Amino acid sequence: MKHKVTFCPDDKQVEVEEGENLLRAAMAAEVHISASCGGDGTCGKCRVIVEKGVVEQRPTSKLTTEEIEQGYVLACLSTIKSDLEVRVPPESRLGKFIEREKAPASHILSAKGWEEHLSSWQRRPPIQKYYIEMPAPNLSDNVDDLKRIKRELGKEHGLEAEVDVDLSVLKYMARVIREADWRVTVTLLENNSSVKIIKVESGDTAKENYAAAIDIGTTTIGARLIDLKERTAVAQASNYNAQASCGEDVISRMIFSTKRDGLIKLQSLVASTISELLMKLADKAGIKFSDTSCLVLAGNTIMTHLFLGLSPKYIREAPYIPTASDFPWIKAKDCGLDVFGETYACCFPCVASYVGGDIVAGVLASGVSRSKKLTLYIDIGTNGEIVLGNTDWMVACSCSAGPAFEGGGVKHGMRAAKGAIEQVRIDCGTCEPMILTIGQTKPAGICGSGLIDALAEMFLSRIVDQRGKINVELNSPRVREGKHGPEYVLAWADETANGEDIVVTEVDIDNLIRAKAAIFAGISILLESTSVDISDVEEILIAGAFGNYLEIERVQTIGLLPEYPFEKVKFVGNGSLIGASLGSLSKEMLLEAKEVASKMAYLELSADNKFMDKYISALFLPHTNVELFPMVMKELKNR
Amino acid sequence: MAFQAPIDTYQGKIREVIMGGESNQITVGGEIAMPFHFFEGEMSRKPVIAMEVYDVAPDNWSSAVAKPFRDVLSDPVVWAKKCQDEFGADMICLRLVSTDPNGENRDPAEAAETVKAVLEAISVPLCVYGSGNIEKDGEVLKKVAEVTEGQRVILGPSQEDNYKPITAAAIGYKHNVSGLSPIDVNMAKQLNILMTQLGLEADRLVMDPSGAALGYGLEYVYSIMERLRLAALQQNDEMTQMPILCDFGREVWKAKEAKTEDEPSWGDPEKRGILWEFMTAASMLIAGGDVLVMRHPEAVKLTKKFIEELMS
Ligand code: FES
Repeated sequence: MKHKVTFCPDDKQVEVEEGENLLRAAMAAEVHISASCGGDGTCGKCRVIVEKGVVEQRPTSKLTTEEIEQGYVLACLSTIKSDLEVRVPPESRLGKFIEREKAPASHILSAKGWEEHLSSWQRRPPIQKYYIEMPAPNLSDNVDDLKRIKRELGKEHGLEAEVDVDLSVLKYMARVIREADWRVTVTLLENNSSVKIIKVESGDTAKENYAAAIDIGTTTIGARLIDLKERTAVAQASNYNAQASCGEDVISRMIFSTKRDGLIKLQSLVASTISELLMKLADKAGIKFSDTSCLVLAGNTIMTHLFLGLSPKYIREAPYIPTASDFPWIKAKDCGLDVFGETYACCFPCVASYVGGDIVAGVLASGVSRSKKLTLYIDIGTNGEIVLGNTDWMVACSCSAGPAFEGGGVKHGMRAAKGAIEQVRIDCGTCEPMILTIGQTKPAGICGSGLIDALAEMFLSRIVDQRGKINVELNSPRVREGKHGPEYVLAWADETANGEDIVVTEVDIDNLIRAKAAIFAGISILLESTSVDISDVEEILIAGAFGNYLEIERVQTIGLLPEYPFEKVKFVGNGSLIGASLGSLSKEMLLEAKEVASKMAYLELSADNKFMDKYISALFLPHTNVELFPMVMKELKNR
Repeated sequence: MAFQAPIDTYQGKIREVIMGGESNQITVGGEIAMPFHFFEGEMSRKPVIAMEVYDVAPDNWSSAVAKPFRDVLSDPVVWAKKCQDEFGADMICLRLVSTDPNGENRDPAEAAETVKAVLEAISVPLCVYGSGNIEKDGEVLKKVAEVTEGQRVILGPSQEDNYKPITAAAIGYKHNVSGLSPIDVNMAKQLNILMTQLGLEADRLVMDPSGAALGYGLEYVYSIMERLRLAALQQNDEMTQMPILCDFGREVWKAKEAKTEDEPSWGDPEKRGILWEFMTAASMLIAGGDVLVMRHPEAVKLTKKFIEELMS
């Protein structure tokens, strides 16, 4: 159910779902309330008065009984239960209250609920489990064990296809079926037209059939455990790719792979991160990790090569050729995932050296490849990959953005995990911030969406200039000269998780501007080369693992995206991970992935010097050609 | 049918920047077509030449270029006057090399005294360039701006890392600013945006897209200037419509072709240097230069003649 929340004296309204947090509602309504603990309930600054309506509150010692009687609540500890009228008292305001042109509520995009819209593939997982009860053999029914199993599969489950088997299964099968008194569960891998027995277990375990979907990012690896029987995700986890110790981006990883034992080391590092994640998932979901019968992975071409132990050497050298773009099903243990002996794994097919399976997975998952609408799909990662097209044609390009949006190369950057600052507002006059963290706990760092917000707000409140330089002459304790140059304090030490000031430095800002410039330049060239004007694009989809929310205004404020109608932008979340999850549920989708990968055309950005030119003109807030951003410039003036 | 050469039309116009005090103003800019394309549109103003003067005697000038100034090198006031009276300089570009912290490290007030003295002695407009040291230039030019208030001096070079104090000084004391960017269209434009955002009027700005000499990157600067001009005229891009200042005199006389003396097979060193500077100047004119900062009087003379010929 939706509720209307009105904030006075700003007279701003926002409609939210029942159960939404009151501080988040204020954020969405562009009402700026002091909040320096990220919504943890410990700073006691987000005091508001509920004048009409009902909120549910968590208890707090920050308010006196008297105040509570007067209707005071802490916004961050209040859940919305009805239509509300809320007064923001002067002490809770970020700055002086200035009557100004009413800004509309912001467009906060949430990745939640996205998956329900996904176009439907036949949901038949590539991995199936069948429980069978076989008659014990005797002198007149004396077919061998394997034939007996196949016969039963045909009889009880109507399986007619030619069934193959792994030698490793044959080795233990005879013992297992006898010990289980001829009642076993058979796991089959259905690939294209062939079917193969990959596991035989005693008793009925058909219900315990899980797959893990994995997004192998250059910086972050995301994993999700899928219950194949119930067809739902049951657990999710992510961690930094341990390969990062061998280089930040794909280029340095490729160089490392050519060193002695470099390839082996890289493969074992990524395998170790994935193993840990898989165990964490099993733990979270309370299953045996041997019940994870398949892995579906999506990663860029280089990450896929390194996972499979293929040398990316020739990808780096002109004419940039990968060993393969399409990969067979393999045993996970062949890639160094030793614990997962019987687990099978498959990687999404890639397009070209720098457009990989992560993009193919995302384009499929978000429906671009089946849509009639001309869509711009942008995956913001260490490698920014951009696709333009629809069901009829698709062109992709890739640009190196660096890990800034995943928190890499940023002093207090972190993954989108608990405690990460994900939303930021800054008051123009006082430079005081309003911050919200993931899980509303004490801030521990800043994730991608928080960094986008922070940069946009610092720019709009003139803490940084258009070149991204911090104005140290501002009269605020939050703007100061730090150890490594000027910085802005987003959270003071006594309010953070690790007792350290959380700051955004000029170097961080530089990295963020570089990252956004690379992506903007990629978009411009892709549009130009296909003679498509941005106004002809019918939908923009943004994918990336930088948080749960993305505010499209802020994204445009920093010039990561061209100005474009907000309503037509959608935030997909981690497209690659969603694609991999869907792939684990549908072999039809995995087949379609091959088709999509082979259909996508690749545009090489380094072919001429246009990219450099566009890149430098985008190294500015919002852009050197400010006339392309009339809305942003207007907002800047208004503040 | 007779062949009709296609003619470009433009929507943009280069801004007019006024230099000098009440009594000795000159204006540059105002072009509405590409340089010397009289068939496309008017070019009512001639480009101007600012002759270089150092505030201390330069120790690394080759004798070919030092010779005409032999008697005045150690006195910037007389030197400037000589450039104006004898060599026909339209402007003087005074370089405060003495303020360089890695050199004599003169303090801003002392340097400003020199500026004041020069200004009093001449009747043409003045351009004052700092030593190029980011931090020091900010302080020095602030002081210079103060003592020359109202004289519409061009202060420079204002760069990405010190544009703030310099621009503020220009706003406070009503001067012009020359923005120096590293041979890049976008960066030139960015600097203009940054300076105007601080509140400097756009018609108090000239762009210095970096100097280069013939054989030493001239073609890069040439194409950057051409692109800036096309953006200004064709796309009516307001932030590239500033007149262009070309600071190449010192680049030319650094080139070995200009400064080498003992290479008889290369011909007369003096003539060679002069021609090197003139050829560079000619290219800069054709690329769209509005203010040329030059060194040798003979090269200045040739360039003036060249301008007359192009204009007629
Ligand atoms: S107490 Fe609510 S934000 Fe800190």
